[in-house]
Amino acid sequence: MTAHLNLVDVGVSFNGFKAVNGLTLSVNQGELRCLIGPNGAGKTTALDLICGKTAAMSGSIIYRGQDITALEDYQIARVGVGRKFQIPSVFKQLTVRENLEVAYCKHTGVFSNLMQWSRSSDSGGLAHLAEFVGLADHFDEPADHLSHGQTQWLEIALLLAQDADLILLDEPTAGMTAQETHKTADICQRLKGKHTIIVVEHDMGFVKEIGDIISVMHQGRLLAEGTVAEIEADPKVRQVYLGSAGISGA
Amino acid sequence: MNRANEKTSRWQTSRGTMQFMVYAAVCLAILLLPLVVQDDFMLNRIARYLVLAMVAMALSLSWGYAGILNLGQAMSFGIGSYCMAMALKLRTVPVHTGSDGLPDFMVWNNVTQLPWFWEPFWSLPFAILAGILLPALAAALLGWFIFRGRVTGVFVAIITLATMIVLNLVIIDQQQYTGGFNGITDLAQLELFGVTFDAYSSSTYYLVAISLTLSLFFALAITRSKAGLILQAIRDQEQRVRFFGYDVALFKTTIFAISAAIAGLAGMLYTIVMEFASPTFLSVQLSLSIVIWCAVGGRQSLLGAMLGAILVAGVQGALSESETFLDTWTLIMGGLFVLIVLFLPNGLASLIDLGRRRVRTPKSPDNRVAHSAELKEDRT
Amino acid sequence: MDFVVQQFVTGLSIGSILLLVALGLSIIYGSMGVINMAHGEFIMLGAYGTWALNAAFGLSLFPSLIVVFLGVGLIGALIELGVIRFLYKRTLDTILATWGIGVMLQQAIRLAAGGELRYVQMPPSLSDSVSVLGTDVSAYRVFIFLAVAVLFGVTWFILYRTSAGMKLRAVVQDPAIASSFGIDAGRVRTLTFAYGAGLAGLAGALVAPLKSVSPEMGASYVVDAFFVVVLGGVQSLFGTVASSFILGQLTGALAFWQNDTVAKALVLVVIVVLIRFRPQGLFVTRVRT
Repeated sequence: MTAHLNLVDVGVSFNGFKAVNGLTLSVNQGELRCLIGPNGAGKTTALDLICGKTAAMSGSIIYRGQDITALEDYQIARVGVGRKFQIPSVFKQLTVRENLEVAYCKHTGVFSNLMQWSRSSDSGGLAHLAEFVGLADHFDEPADHLSHGQTQWLEIALLLAQDADLILLDEPTAGMTAQETHKTADICQRLKGKHTIIVVEHDMGFVKEIGDIISVMHQGRLLAEGTVAEIEADPKVRQVYLGSAGISGA
Repeated sequence: MNRANEKTSRWQTSRGTMQFMVYAAVCLAILLLPLVVQDDFMLNRIARYLVLAMVAMALSLSWGYAGILNLGQAMSFGIGSYCMAMALKLRTVPVHTGSDGLPDFMVWNNVTQLPWFWEPFWSLPFAILAGILLPALAAALLGWFIFRGRVTGVFVAIITLATMIVLNLVIIDQQQYTGGFNGITDLAQLELFGVTFDAYSSSTYYLVAISLTLSLFFALAITRSKAGLILQAIRDQEQRVRFFGYDVALFKTTIFAISAAIAGLAGMLYTIVMEFASPTFLSVQLSLSIVIWCAVGGRQSLLGAMLGAILVAGVQGALSESETFLDTWTLIMGGLFVLIVLFLPNGLASLIDLGRRRVRTPKSPDNRVAHSAELKEDRT
Repeated sequence: MDFVVQQFVTGLSIGSILLLVALGLSIIYGSMGVINMAHGEFIMLGAYGTWALNAAFGLSLFPSLIVVFLGVGLIGALIELGVIRFLYKRTLDTILATWGIGVMLQQAIRLAAGGELRYVQMPPSLSDSVSVLGTDVSAYRVFIFLAVAVLFGVTWFILYRTSAGMKLRAVVQDPAIASSFGIDAGRVRTLTFAYGAGLAGLAGALVAPLKSVSPEMGASYVVDAFFVVVLGGVQSLFGTVASSFILGQLTGALAFWQNDTVAKALVLVVIVVLIRFRPQGLFVTRVRT
């Protein structure tokens, strides 16, 4: 079976520090994969490598049978990879509607966008998206006015508007209330199947709620992989999280 | 909820129409001005400010919308102005020229043959095209060089500034071909479609006013397109835009080149209005002034940048008769400018926005409650 | 061989003046991210200060240096308190605000002292030339070289060997955390800006005898100083030294090969290419962001 996304022996180092070191990981189509690991395990860097924010120094990244290791970040986005950042990253000076319009990127060429004047194309769909994440009341307000939680929602909505096949979420629930976390889990569940999703999370409650298969990273490599129960029972994983009460305390 | 959306969307459209009306009204006023102002000297002066307004508007397009702080905007302006000056120099009656219509300064510098790069300027259509396309091409190359390497912020400012100084130095150094410090003077008057454009006549004024109107609406169309939106997104969070699949460098290069083309056109008009071209047209001083006009008027508003240029250059011009007056005014202007940067980051145009915001209904305090209520609703 | 040495000494002389005018800017830009377009005007103020002290009180260059340093430093402190302080969140706008300040300073001087050129006397003891490595060099240029070395040493000492310098570096890294450890970030910044301005004033006083003094004299210095600082790398004091040295040698060599104008243009081309490929500066190691 060929996987949707394949990382083969990928590595990158910063000033000699090997942030990701021989990482091999494969994710199937429609899967929701959780990536966990102690601080500094290289989880965020792994996402950076997939979406092209950081260029891999060794190994290869295959997405849908295409080698994307050497592609520029925007080219990787065009083949269908979307990314949500750890620190919410939206366009603060633009309104919620305009944010969504930018994210709705069926045409990425300069000329076609210069020629596209009617801003309200598919405005209904975008309004629906805003409503879905609870921002309908703020549709024409600058993103600057949103609270931290709302900004997180907006960025998730941006990913939905982008409609990427592979979605990379970096700590989507950071700074969210229990309720909001729950709703995020709900969204992830809904997206599962239609989209392939990789989530980096610290919140084990959240991971248990959404995850089928969990990959544990340590010191830049894959340490273990399996279901929640398998991971919790894994002695190597316990070793890594030593001192805390297993991974649930992480 | 949907009704609320319809309402805001209608409000959005009406705001767009409003903007269009305001822009149209200002342009109309500019076009009708010669009916009120009959003095040719005065018209020439206003035409000059309008040209400067045009180049400020062009900067607003790249700086205000795409966040490219171009400290070398005068380079495009200067290239345009030299293109026009070269063509008009070759059209002078041979009073000022040596043998074979060789420009006077070349004769003084013992040049005996017209250099190859002057030859095409015998053709006026070529010169006009070159005045727009050369700056655009130069900007496209420079932009590609800068933005492919993902150079941003102050480094863009420094590279554009340095590039402009290089061109300025070359022009000054190669005086046998460029007229050096003195620039190119004693020009013929432009003749186009049977109309003679005397700098001190309403025909030149109309030429400038119409060019300004057309380029303003051209720029407005760009900002209102989806590309305009993407450019603003790039200004906010360049990296985020890339992860939506847009080639940011290409967008930036394009807007940089378009801005340069408009500046080049303005430069050509400036030569017609001033009746000469000089290295001061591509100086650090002028470049900084353009940035200042933009900042005063409002860098994120095309019209604001335009009016900022007219206001600052106009007042400066009006006071230039008396030196102490001018010095005192410049002192005050420096102070006012600092205040604007401190308190009105988006220039005088933000005063209008402030007023508009006050008219809008204030944010309802129940927003957060509504928000969490909705969350609950979604859970069930 | 003589020729190479002579070129080297010329380059060294140009480089030392570059470092002199860039040092204050390097500290202000490097530690606060403030792009101080008024730096040239601080230099101009220093030059005028020296001229005025001489014209009014007959003070010679050396005693003037102290007064100029303190005077321009005070002006810098006031500017930081009144304007710069409000712009740390949008540092690109400091280009605009400091430009406005520069215009005001220039006009103030023009109104107060007139627009004509002024001249500052070189100290008689330094007006001869001396032989360095077999090349005749004006003693004053040797003096400038030594003065720059001393100023650099003092600056380095303050930054890396005193508690004030440590506080500054803490504020540069993270103002919020530094504040939470009891460092008065505002005061540290005011003092730093004042020190940078004072250095610019000294630079002005020192270059005054070499060139004529005019209200516009700052413009060319600020551009040169910027190129030096950016090329050296923003937070690297030694980078500033190295880039002044390189630019000095490059300018000297190119000016010999071509004329001054072409040399300047070529140096700028080199700078553009270097910044394009190493925007972080030549002498800064790459770190993970």
